[in-house]
Amino acid sequence: MLLELKDITKKYGDFKANDQVSFSLNKQEIHAIVGENGAGKTTLMRMLYGMEKPTSGDIFINGKKQNIDNPNIAIELGIGMVHQHFMLFPPFTIAENVVFHHEPKKGWRYDRKKAADEVAQLAEKFGMKINPLDIAGDAPVGIQQRVEILKVLYQGADVIILDEPTAVLTPLEVKELLVSLRELVKMGKSIILITHKLNEVMEIADRVTVLRDGKVTGTLTTKDTNPEELSRLMVGRELKNNPLPSIEKGNEILSIKNIEMTSKKSGKTLLDDVTLQVRQGEIVGIAGVSGNGQSELIQAITGLAPVNKGSVTLNGADMTNRSVKQIRDQGLSHIPEDRYLWGAAKEANLVDNMMMTDYAKPAFQKAGVLKLKEIRRYVAESVKKFNVKTTSIDTSAQFLSGGNLQKLIAAREIQKNTPFLLAAEPTRGVDIGAMEFIHEQLIEKRNNGDAVLLISSELSEILALSDRVFVMYEGKIVGEFDHQNASEEKLSILMAGGNNE
Amino acid sequence: MNKLKTNATVFIQPLLAVIVGLLVGTIAIMLSGESVIVTYQEMWDGAFGNLYFLTNTLERAIPIILAGLGVAFAFRAGFFNLGAEGQLVMGAVTTAIVTVYLPFQGLLNMVISIIAGMLIAGLYSFLAGWMEQRFQINLLISTLLLNYIAVLFAGYLVSEPFRDTSSAGGVPQTVMVDEASRLPKLLTGMNLHYGFVIAIILAIVIAFIMKRTTFGYEVRMLGQNVFFAQYGGINRKKIMFTSLLISGMLAGLAGSVEVLGIHYRFIEGALSNPQFAWTGLMAALLANSNPIGTTVVAIFLAALDTGSLGVERNTDVPNSISGIIQAVLILFISAKFTMNFLNQRKKEGK
Repeated sequence: MLLELKDITKKYGDFKANDQVSFSLNKQEIHAIVGENGAGKTTLMRMLYGMEKPTSGDIFINGKKQNIDNPNIAIELGIGMVHQHFMLFPPFTIAENVVFHHEPKKGWRYDRKKAADEVAQLAEKFGMKINPLDIAGDAPVGIQQRVEILKVLYQGADVIILDEPTAVLTPLEVKELLVSLRELVKMGKSIILITHKLNEVMEIADRVTVLRDGKVTGTLTTKDTNPEELSRLMVGRELKNNPLPSIEKGNEILSIKNIEMTSKKSGKTLLDDVTLQVRQGEIVGIAGVSGNGQSELIQAITGLAPVNKGSVTLNGADMTNRSVKQIRDQGLSHIPEDRYLWGAAKEANLVDNMMMTDYAKPAFQKAGVLKLKEIRRYVAESVKKFNVKTTSIDTSAQFLSGGNLQKLIAAREIQKNTPFLLAAEPTRGVDIGAMEFIHEQLIEKRNNGDAVLLISSELSEILALSDRVFVMYEGKIVGEFDHQNASEEKLSILMAGGNNE
Repeated sequence: MNKLKTNATVFIQPLLAVIVGLLVGTIAIMLSGESVIVTYQEMWDGAFGNLYFLTNTLERAIPIILAGLGVAFAFRAGFFNLGAEGQLVMGAVTTAIVTVYLPFQGLLNMVISIIAGMLIAGLYSFLAGWMEQRFQINLLISTLLLNYIAVLFAGYLVSEPFRDTSSAGGVPQTVMVDEASRLPKLLTGMNLHYGFVIAIILAIVIAFIMKRTTFGYEVRMLGQNVFFAQYGGINRKKIMFTSLLISGMLAGLAGSVEVLGIHYRFIEGALSNPQFAWTGLMAALLANSNPIGTTVVAIFLAALDTGSLGVERNTDVPNSISGIIQAVLILFISAKFTMNFLNQRKKEGK
C-alpha cells in the first residue's frame, strides 16, 4: 500500500471536520473521494498535504509513519496537490509557472532556456499538449489546469491530489483531463480525486470513498457500485425525482427577437441573430459549452451590456438596452452565473447581500431611510426558509460555503415573485443537497405560472428541468428541442458544432 | 456575537497601530536622553493638560475631521480621493473671497460664503470624476495632481487680485473677514469655534447615512463590489459623482471653517503647510473609513501635534517626535493595505 490514513480526526473547537476517517491508496490507483460540501473532503486532503495537523490519527507512506507538518514535507514525500482555484502567476509563462520555486539555474542565474526545455519534455512525457512559452494568464482554463498538474509533476510527485478538478472545465476539457489522468496512472502515478460529480467517478476511479458529515460512509470498488448508491451514501437518504408536471403554458413573458451583439474591443460577433421566447409556466433551457455567447445573452437580457440590433421584450414592454433597474422593475429576477463576481459582496454581511434589489421597496424603506427591523426580520426568515446554514445573519458572505451562498442568492431572487427568472448556472459547484433544493425551487416557480430561462453548461440539469431546450454555439442558436425529444447525444453534437443530419 | 467581534476588530487595529507608534516614540525619546515618562507626561499635558490646551487640540482636529470624513465617504464608495488638500484650499479661498465681497455681513453672509466654498470644492472633486468618466483618467492620479493646481491657483489669487494691500509686505493674504460674519467661539477666550460642533454633527449624520439609508447602502455596495452593484441595478455613474461631490464638499468645508473660525482670512500656505488634509486621509484609513472612528482618530492625531509642541516647550525632545509616531502609523496603514491585497490574491488563487 502506497499511502494510508488511519483513524484521522480533526476537530475545530467542538466541531469534528473529520471523525475517525481511514483511507488508503494503492500504487497506480485512482481513488475518488466524494461527499457534499462541508463533508470534510478538503480538510482530509489538507492534512495529507501538510496544510493542517490532525487532532488524532496517523499517516503512513510506504508503510512508514510520517509527520507532515508543512507542504514542503509533503512534496518531499512525493505528494502533490492541484488546488481547486489555480495558483498561477498569470503574467508569467507556463514554463516559469511550472518551475517556480525549483528553478533550474545557470550559476546563480535563472536558466530560462533550460526551464522551457525541461517543461516541454515533461509535458511530452505525460502526453500533455502545451507551449511552455505561452503566457499562463492567456491560456484557456483547461491548459491552466495542465500547468498546475505539470507543476506538481515537476516537483516529483508520485501521489497527485486533485481538488474538484472538473468544476471549472468545459465538457470537452473534462474529457481531455480524464484521458490525461489515465495516462498519468499508466506512467506509474497514483491519484486522489476529490469531486462531487458521480459520473466522473464511475468513469475513471478504481475505488471511491464516500464522506458524510466528516465520517466515512463507505469505501467501494467502482465496478460494484452505481451512482444511485453513491448519492444515497453522500446524502444519507433517497434523492427525490423531480417530475415536470404538465401545465398550461400562458403568454410570452420574455421575447428576444434577432438580437446581435459585437465586442467593442475586437469587433467580434458575440451574439448572432438570437431569437427565443419564454412563456408563462415553462422552463426554457439553454445548453452550450460555456463561452459560446451565454454570458452575452445574459447581459443583453438583464441590461448589463447593450445589443447592436434586435429587441428584448419583457412582460409586454420593450426593454431593449434599458438600464438594469428599469428591467428589474419590469419583472426580472436573476441568479447570476458567477456568484462571487456578480452575485454577492463577499465582505458585506448576509443582510446587505440579501437586500440588493429589494432595499428600495416601500416595505423596507421610507423616504430613503432603511427600516432595519423589517429588513432583519425578512432576512432571518428567508435564511431559515431556504435553509442557508450560517451562524448569524451578520456573518459576512465570504464565510458561507459555495452552496449556501448560492441558496442565499436563490432566496433573494426567487422570493421576489417576478414573472420572469433568469437562472444562470444555478447549481455550479454546489453539493447535491443544495442542487436538489434549488431545482425544486425552479420547478415550483414554473408551476406557479412564471417563466424561467435556465442557462447551464450541465447537460443533466438542462435535460431534467427544461420544457424546451435551445442549444447555443458560437453566439448562435443552433437547435431547439421539446422536453421529450431532447437527449444528451443530440445536444452534445450540436454543442460541439456538429449537426444532427 | 459575531457583530461584537467585528466591531472589536475595527477598533483593535488602529489601537494596535497607536500602541506600536508610541513604543517607537519611546525609543526615539530614549535616544535623545530624556525621561520617557516626563516626555509623555508633557505630551499629554500639551494636548489635554488644561482647558486651553484641550480646546486647542480640538480646534486643530476640526479640519482633520472634516477632510477625513470627505476621504472616508469617497473611499466607502470605492473611490480614492487623494485631492482633499486641493479641495480644502479651494473651499477656503472661495469662502475668504466671497465673505469679503458680499454686500452684507452677519449670519447670512457666513452661511452663503461657507456654502460657496463647499460648492466650489465639491465641483473641483467632481471634475476629477468627470475626467474619469469621460477620458478614463485614473482618479488616484487626477485628484492628486489637482492638489498642486489648487494650491498654486489659490496662492496666485491672494498674491495678485485679492491681496490685502493694507498691510505692506509679509505673507500674501486676503482682507480680514468682518467680525459679524465670523464663526463664533465655543468658549470665550479659547480658540475652539463652532466648526467643531459642525464637524461632530456631520460625523454622526454621515454615520447615519451610511448605515441607515438607501443611498448609504448603494454607496457601500458599490465600494464593496462594483459588479454586484451593477447587477442589482445601482447606477455607478450617479453614485460616483454624488460621492465625489460630497467628499469634495466636506474637504472644502474643512477649509471654510478654518477661514471663518480661526484665521479670519486666507493666508497662503496656512492650510496646506500643516498637512490637515493628509492627516485627515490618515485618520480615515486608520479608522477603515468609519465616520465615527475617523473623528476619534482625527482628534488623536491632532493631540499628537499639539502634544509634541508641549514636549518641545518643556523638554529637549524635538517636536518631530510627533512626526516619528505618525510615520509609524503610516507604516501600519500601508502594511494593512499590503496584507489586504495579499489576502485578496491568496483568496482568489486558492
